[in-house]
Amino acid sequence: MKTKRLVLTVLMCALVWLTVTSCFNRAPVYITTNKTRNIHMIVKMNKGDYWNTVKLGAEAAAKEFNVKLTFKAPDSESDIDEQISMVEDSINLRADAIILAASSYMGLAQVVDQAAYYKIPVISVDAEVGSARVRTYVGSNSYEAGQKSAERLINLLNGSGEIGILNFTSASLQDQRSNSASIDYGARDADEREKGFLNYAARYPNIHVVQISYTSSSTTEAEELTRQMLENHPDLRGIATLNETASQGAGKVIQSLGLNNLIKMVAFDSSPSMLELLQDGTVQATVIQNPFSNGYLAVKYAVEALEGIEVPERVDTGTKLIDLDNMLYPENQKLLFPFVR
Amino acid sequence: MTKSKGYFFPLRPQPGTRGRIRLSAKLRSIQLIITLSFTAVAVLVAVIVSSMLYNKFAKTAEENANLNMQQIIEQVNYNLELYVKGMSNIFETAEEQVTTSPSIDSPLLYERMDTLMSSREDLVSIAVFTPQGKYVAGTPGQNMRVNTQLESQSWFTNALKSSDISYSAPHIQNLFKGRYNWVVSISKMIEYKENGELKRGILLIDFNFRTIDQLSRQVKLGKRGYAYILDSLGNIVYHPQQQLIYAGLKYENVEPVLAYSFRSYLDESTGEKRFITVRTLEETGWKIVGVAYYDEIVTTKRDLNQFLFWFLAAVILCAIAVSVFLSWLIASPIRKLERTVKQVGEGDLNTPINVSGAYEVEQLSRRFNLMLQRIRQLMDQIIYEQETKRKGELEVLQSQINPHFLYNTLNSVVRLAERGKNEEVITMIQSLSKFFRISLSKGNNIITVQEELDHIRHYLVIQSFRFKNKFRFEIKAQDEVLPFQTIKLILQPIVENALYHGIEMSPDEGLILISAELQDNLIVIRISDNGIGMSKETLHNILNGGSKSAGGSGVGVRNVNERIGLYYGREFGLAFESELEEGTTVTIIFPAIGQNEGQENTAGGETS
Repeated sequence: MKTKRLVLTVLMCALVWLTVTSCFNRAPVYITTNKTRNIHMIVKMNKGDYWNTVKLGAEAAAKEFNVKLTFKAPDSESDIDEQISMVEDSINLRADAIILAASSYMGLAQVVDQAAYYKIPVISVDAEVGSARVRTYVGSNSYEAGQKSAERLINLLNGSGEIGILNFTSASLQDQRSNSASIDYGARDADEREKGFLNYAARYPNIHVVQISYTSSSTTEAEELTRQMLENHPDLRGIATLNETASQGAGKVIQSLGLNNLIKMVAFDSSPSMLELLQDGTVQATVIQNPFSNGYLAVKYAVEALEGIEVPERVDTGTKLIDLDNMLYPENQKLLFPFVR
Repeated sequence: MTKSKGYFFPLRPQPGTRGRIRLSAKLRSIQLIITLSFTAVAVLVAVIVSSMLYNKFAKTAEENANLNMQQIIEQVNYNLELYVKGMSNIFETAEEQVTTSPSIDSPLLYERMDTLMSSREDLVSIAVFTPQGKYVAGTPGQNMRVNTQLESQSWFTNALKSSDISYSAPHIQNLFKGRYNWVVSISKMIEYKENGELKRGILLIDFNFRTIDQLSRQVKLGKRGYAYILDSLGNIVYHPQQQLIYAGLKYENVEPVLAYSFRSYLDESTGEKRFITVRTLEETGWKIVGVAYYDEIVTTKRDLNQFLFWFLAAVILCAIAVSVFLSWLIASPIRKLERTVKQVGEGDLNTPINVSGAYEVEQLSRRFNLMLQRIRQLMDQIIYEQETKRKGELEVLQSQINPHFLYNTLNSVVRLAERGKNEEVITMIQSLSKFFRISLSKGNNIITVQEELDHIRHYLVIQSFRFKNKFRFEIKAQDEVLPFQTIKLILQPIVENALYHGIEMSPDEGLILISAELQDNLIVIRISDNGIGMSKETLHNILNGGSKSAGGSGVGVRNVNERIGLYYGREFGLAFESELEEGTTVTIIFPAIGQNEGQENTAGGETS
């Protein structure tokens, strides 16, 4: 009986101790911002509104989560070697994490594996990379985006006519021709968008995709390609452009030639100049992604991966088709026009 | 003999229980119990007190933080109110300029509007539209875009609907080429003159967010806290993480905010505790919402936490130290006492106990000493009694083979034989042999009443020959008395007394009556004679051993009394009634105990 009382006393002491100590330690549910993390973000290109917005989002997240963000990008989307060496640099500098928008699906696979070997988590953003070691992919579903573009363009053409596609590539024109058959060195998002578009267009017997051109990363090249396309195909009724550079080039050409009544165009991404083109009727619609979200979430998940928090394998930030009617919807305003202070 | 064993000390614990006690003895020690309970009480008290203190302090800290936050938000509210007033002032100035201008396209008006524009950084554009949505005038002189859909925009429809100044929600101004700006629009239906004609139109002034941003950015609510502005419909006018909100990456629980215009509350919709303070701007219906992270603003609480943690740790340590000391103080005399008592228990009765300490312990040791003294006394007494008893037994044994008695008896036998009285010789010898058989009775000290009565009968038979029929005797016994136990040879000394001191001296024929009966579980045996009796003095001396009988067997009546007292207790024994010249009656009383099974073979049916 005495023993029983003693045991009770001891138990009570333990209980009191537990209650006392439990008041003091609580695990935070949010990401701790006590230590600075070095995260390197390497995107496809160092110019263009799209990548700026990605950077903006990344910076917002960097500020929020106490990240020292190093933003790197080659001058051109086709400069795979430069991108690879940038990733190698980041590995050598022992970045805490690397966020990569790969210009080439296969071209950067090896260097990503190498980063994983050094235990540096790699987050891919916007464009996927052919490595199983990537922690997560943050971006839109490119195949779906291509389908959306095709759906609207075919609709605008009432289901018949010739269509030209202006896509982008990682390799210069010469390389593209010699290489494309053997190994897929293209950017994953470009391929997927094109595939989505063509697969959708294939359902319409009266729709003919007469030409697919690839621009590397300059508006002037895109303009040149558009002019060639218009010359080669006088009956061309629609143009689909699959990234920002291509869209701006093609838009400029159509606007300057005054073809906006003759040729329907569905563009990709939204820069202010793109929206001007949309508002004055040169471009009928544009497929937009969520570059700000991409940048923000990429950094956020990189931090979470570093914290040891489980990150989803794939984060779809979605795509949307914007036209004159819905561009000023409040929810779309918020997407189209980044709030810049 | 069972009773005589009882005096031994049962202080040693039984061997069977010993192991169990040793197992838990450490845990049950008084010192440990005291230490633990003292510590528990001290800790409990400390915990209760500190939790009360904690609650009190935490509440105060929380209230202070809340108050502080309210003041900050109040300040922002005030500044923002001033700013909105400034906006409406500008609008009024512009309106006045437009309405007073003789013509809407006068260069003077443009100049004035330009001056107004350059006066403030946050002005984006001033423009006048017709109610049909046609651009009339404005600054800076930009080109209108096509497809502006301005007729469906809120600033336009609101101006058409009411005559008051209306403030729009933040939106993209898509009217003019060159830039898409996030603005807040102020609009109102006004009148203007064009070519001398008075016309109605809508004046629109767009403000950018620079000032609002600056105002809101001054708000520092902890490290992560911030303030945001909501319009009356729940649209976010300004948010430090506006882009995140727009991209759907951040979420602000605006519903409770909308429900109140002036309030502070705790919000947990994002999973984190946050203080929300709401203030509403009168003119625009905008709400300023301060958001502070609970765990940040109540840093005092965390400090308090840490302090209390160490305080508690210190209290517990102190409590343990004090209670260890105290319990040692209390327990050590007890333990000393326990050790001494253990020594006593092991048989050392001479161990002195002089334990000082608490009053109770002292008393205990004193009383124990007294008890010990008494035990020693009792043991001495027991030893003495044992010795006496043994001596008595020895004397009984001697009496059994009293050579004088044997010699007299055998003499009588020889005389009878000489006279040829064979019958009597045989009776004598038989009685003598039975007398000795019962006297010895295999060395047992306890025999049945039957045997004792037989014994005395044989004795009387022998003696009646010796005294030449000078006396008669009679033995009467109830049947139920016979099987009970009695001490051997308690009757013979008394009967011997009666014969030698009572009847032998008497001139009359003697008569000895022996009766045995059961009375209330007591065996009562009476031996009466009609001898000369005793004086009171002699009577008194008999039991106290004052006189030694002259011709007795030497065993003595006192010995009988003592033996009965030793076996059955002091309250039992002999009682004498005697009257000179009349005779003496001796009554033996002792409890009826244990019917002996083996009595039948010796008993027979020989009672007369």
